[in-house]
Amino acid sequence: MNPTQVPNSFTELNLADEKIKIEVNDLKLYYGESQALKTVNMHIPEKRVTAFIGPSGCGKSTLLRCFNRMNDLVDSCRIEGQIIMDGQNIYDRSVDVAELRRQVGMVFQKPNPFPKTIYENVAYGLRLQGVKDRRILDEVVETSLKGAALWNEVKDRLHDNAFGLSGGQQQRLVIARAIAIEPDVLLLDEPASALDPISTLKIEELICELKDRYTIVIVTHNMQQAARVSDYTAFMYMGNLVEFDATNKMFTNPSQQQTEDYITGRFG
Amino acid sequence: MDKLNLTKHISSQFNEEIELVRNHIMAMGGLIEQQLSDALNAAATSNAELAQQVIANDLVVNEWEIRIDAECTRIIAKRQPAASDLRLIMAIIKAISDLERIGDEAERIAKVALESFSSAQQDLLVNLDNMGRHVAQMLHEVLDAFARMDMEAALAVYKEDKKVDREYEAITRQLMTYMMEDPRSIPKIMNVLWSARALERIGDRCKNIAEYVISFVKGRDVRHTDEDTLEQRARE
Amino acid sequence: MRAWFKSGTPWIWLNGGAIALCLVMVIGVLGLILVQGASHFWPSDLQQVSVKQADGTERKVLAELVRSEDVAASTLRESGVELPGDAKHYVRHLLKMGNRDVYGRDFAWFLDHEMSSWEIPTQAIVLERREWGNFYGFAVKLSENDQVIAEGDVDVWAKLPERIARANDIHAQIKQLEKTDISRINNGMEDLRLGLRKLQLNNASAAEIAAFEAQAAQERAALDADYAQIQQKLDDLNHQAARDTLVVRTADGKELSVSLSNIVHAHQPNAMSTSQKVGFYVNAIWDFLSEEPREANTEGGIFPAIFGTITMVILMAIIVTPFGVLAAIYLREYAKQGPVLKIIRISVYNLAGVPSIVYGVFGLGFFVYVVGGNIDQLFYAEKLPTPTFGTPGLFWASLTLALLTLPVVIVSTEEGLSRIPSTIRMGSLALGATKSETLWKVVVPLATPAMMTGLILSIARAAGEVAPLMLVGVVKLAPTLPIDGNFPYVHLDQKIMHLGFHVFDVGFQSPNVEASRPLLYATALVLVLLIIVLNMAAIHLRNKLREKYRSESD
Repeated sequence: MNPTQVPNSFTELNLADEKIKIEVNDLKLYYGESQALKTVNMHIPEKRVTAFIGPSGCGKSTLLRCFNRMNDLVDSCRIEGQIIMDGQNIYDRSVDVAELRRQVGMVFQKPNPFPKTIYENVAYGLRLQGVKDRRILDEVVETSLKGAALWNEVKDRLHDNAFGLSGGQQQRLVIARAIAIEPDVLLLDEPASALDPISTLKIEELICELKDRYTIVIVTHNMQQAARVSDYTAFMYMGNLVEFDATNKMFTNPSQQQTEDYITGRFG
Repeated sequence: MDKLNLTKHISSQFNEEIELVRNHIMAMGGLIEQQLSDALNAAATSNAELAQQVIANDLVVNEWEIRIDAECTRIIAKRQPAASDLRLIMAIIKAISDLERIGDEAERIAKVALESFSSAQQDLLVNLDNMGRHVAQMLHEVLDAFARMDMEAALAVYKEDKKVDREYEAITRQLMTYMMEDPRSIPKIMNVLWSARALERIGDRCKNIAEYVISFVKGRDVRHTDEDTLEQRARE
Repeated sequence: MRAWFKSGTPWIWLNGGAIALCLVMVIGVLGLILVQGASHFWPSDLQQVSVKQADGTERKVLAELVRSEDVAASTLRESGVELPGDAKHYVRHLLKMGNRDVYGRDFAWFLDHEMSSWEIPTQAIVLERREWGNFYGFAVKLSENDQVIAEGDVDVWAKLPERIARANDIHAQIKQLEKTDISRINNGMEDLRLGLRKLQLNNASAAEIAAFEAQAAQERAALDADYAQIQQKLDDLNHQAARDTLVVRTADGKELSVSLSNIVHAHQPNAMSTSQKVGFYVNAIWDFLSEEPREANTEGGIFPAIFGTITMVILMAIIVTPFGVLAAIYLREYAKQGPVLKIIRISVYNLAGVPSIVYGVFGLGFFVYVVGGNIDQLFYAEKLPTPTFGTPGLFWASLTLALLTLPVVIVSTEEGLSRIPSTIRMGSLALGATKSETLWKVVVPLATPAMMTGLILSIARAAGEVAPLMLVGVVKLAPTLPIDGNFPYVHLDQKIMHLGFHVFDVGFQSPNVEASRPLLYATALVLVLLIIVLNMAAIHLRNKLREKYRSESD
């Protein structure tokens, strides 16, 4: 290191320089009569961690669930506008939802392993796709568990019930399960909110490791977590996207008063 | 004060903590203003007692710095302030170190006051006193700007520093003339020079504090830029 | 006082009291049937006593003392009994005298003051006979082919057990032959007759019929030959069985001879030590559980009823589980939630409250007559007018019970499905699984404990149900078990015996009330134990499943 030259220790990210993975165009979402999302426009950059923050009920989880069409499960849900992923509108009629969900993995707030062994949990997605070859399964299970930083903890008990794991381990198992089918995008819906601080840190560490390979979108209530793990942050309020910018900017000098008030804890 | 929104946090404890630290820095600022004006008075009137008091009070200033520093550290640890709160705390931390140094400079001036001056040199001290009043005014204004986080006032202070620098140069030249005229007086004049130097430094530090105010308001660092760029950035 | 109320202590006492009351009642019921049922098998002592008869003569009676009671003098006088003295109460004893063939009745009441010189003769024997119930008396002599080989109590007793064992052996062989070979030959004959009838019904040509008849004649001849051979064997065995005869004497001196082939068991209760009695007791219980009933269900065991109950319940479980589970899955997962579904659900829940006899009527009217009648028309036309499925039977009984318990399974399965956290479904869907993949691979396995709960409840209900069964397939006495070695092994059309109905039959329809009373309790006890065992098995299974699918939320 040359002390006479101050290194540029921050990579200043700029949305304009990024390759865009998901493009949200004029997205409106209604639950029955009430409008949950009001004309959202945003570009989610590829192989970056994008965090959605905002108070409860602001629509951040709803927006997240639009990316793998989880909202289809709600009967009263109606969507206008487009979400374009790799040049294809995912709300197009020709899109196979199951196929879409294979490309867009999702991890939920509460660890939700299946009532199966650790091995079978990870292999579940592959088995759905009809993979039966034991060798392939073994390999994928191992790489996925390694990818989720869980391999060392569970390699000796792969055939034990997944419910025997701790909460943090379960959540990492669920992440391993999601990455086993090699999605492009990983949606994390408050992945650490049910975990203890140490497990939370492990998950955060994992997110940082995974962002080289996946486009990650994370919803979190924990602003510090958003600040720690994300490259870009979107602040949503009452169904509106208030501000979307590089995380470094958002947490030091946000442009909008609402964002400022929210992240400094002045809301309401 | 409105722009600061300092009392609007959901956590009233956080409000209180920030309010406390701001009160403390204002109190510290007040003390330092007092120190500076006492030091100048002591120098002008050769009041040794007052000068001694200034020197003694500098310890209190140091204590203030340590206290406020600890308070800020605690707020960072417990509240993880973000955005404007974070910038405010950072500004305070930096400002107190400048204030403490101002205190040190005031002490130095007080020490000068303990030296006895011949009447021939009294007019030197008058010049010094003028510069001192100017700097004290600047300090007052910058503290005021800091209290209100008033960028316009801060910009004004920032510009004021130029004047102080020029006054300092004038005094220096004058003192150099004296020294050439009367080499025996050099040790004493050196003392005066140190005082002038101290005042000039106080001006710089006030300028620093003004910069913190601008940084706080604008959310970007404006230090170490020339005046025009700074003003341009501030007005963006 | 107020403070005491506020402290909640009265509530605790109230709740505790309710529990205690329940416990007392449950223990009371169980205790009653346990004591009454279990004591029946204990070999109690035989009492010999002199009874003064109406004409003044004394008569000796050898009997088991069943119970004693106080009777009001007035009651006795009203029934025409002359009483000495003017006491208000008299003690009377119920004696089981046995020897129905000699006395005409085997239980009788005697007044205490007419009885004297009670004694317990060591040599008294009890013969458990295949006909006429027990014999109580004394052995006189034992003869083989009319030749006396032993005389006197001691001698006879020394030789009796082994000869009884031999006779029982022969008896078992005869039964075995009748059950397997004779029934096989009968089935063969029946098949030939039915085959011919089928051809006739199908309007087969004369040539075909003639051809069949020719072949049938051959087979029939073979079967006849077979039969003759077996009949020969049977005759032989019967002859052997009749070899030994035991001459016995009743307490009042009448002698009669009993063929050993008629004796199930003989023992001398008065001579038995306690350990021998315990051995006898265990044996008696085992016999009760493993033997067929005799003498219009007043003697012998209840094995066919146990077997029938278990078969029926298992069959019911096999029928009700898939139906209930599928219905519940449809209701919970696929049906569009709305008023129609609500009505359906309410209807299903209300089905659980319909009196069971209504199900019996429905089973008889619809399953037996309509469905069974049509099945007979379609598949068993040659047997008509003898119905096959058009008559009450095992399958209809199970089906009716399945219908009866369907709501229970549906309700608990639905409950289980609704308890599966939605996050688990979401997790599966998010991995690209379709709804049905999610359902079958994740949701249903998780709901199995709830399904098992439903099954447990339905088993408990079905095993104890009697009323509808009387209409759809349970009979007092079934000649054969519903599962045997003849094709198709499980005879769904057969009538079965059932413990619940057996209790009813023994309790209310028995020709011999006193004799059947202990059996009633014993049968009830077995029924309760059976239900407990079935439930325990199901609960054990459920707990295992629960352990397997234990999740953090539980």
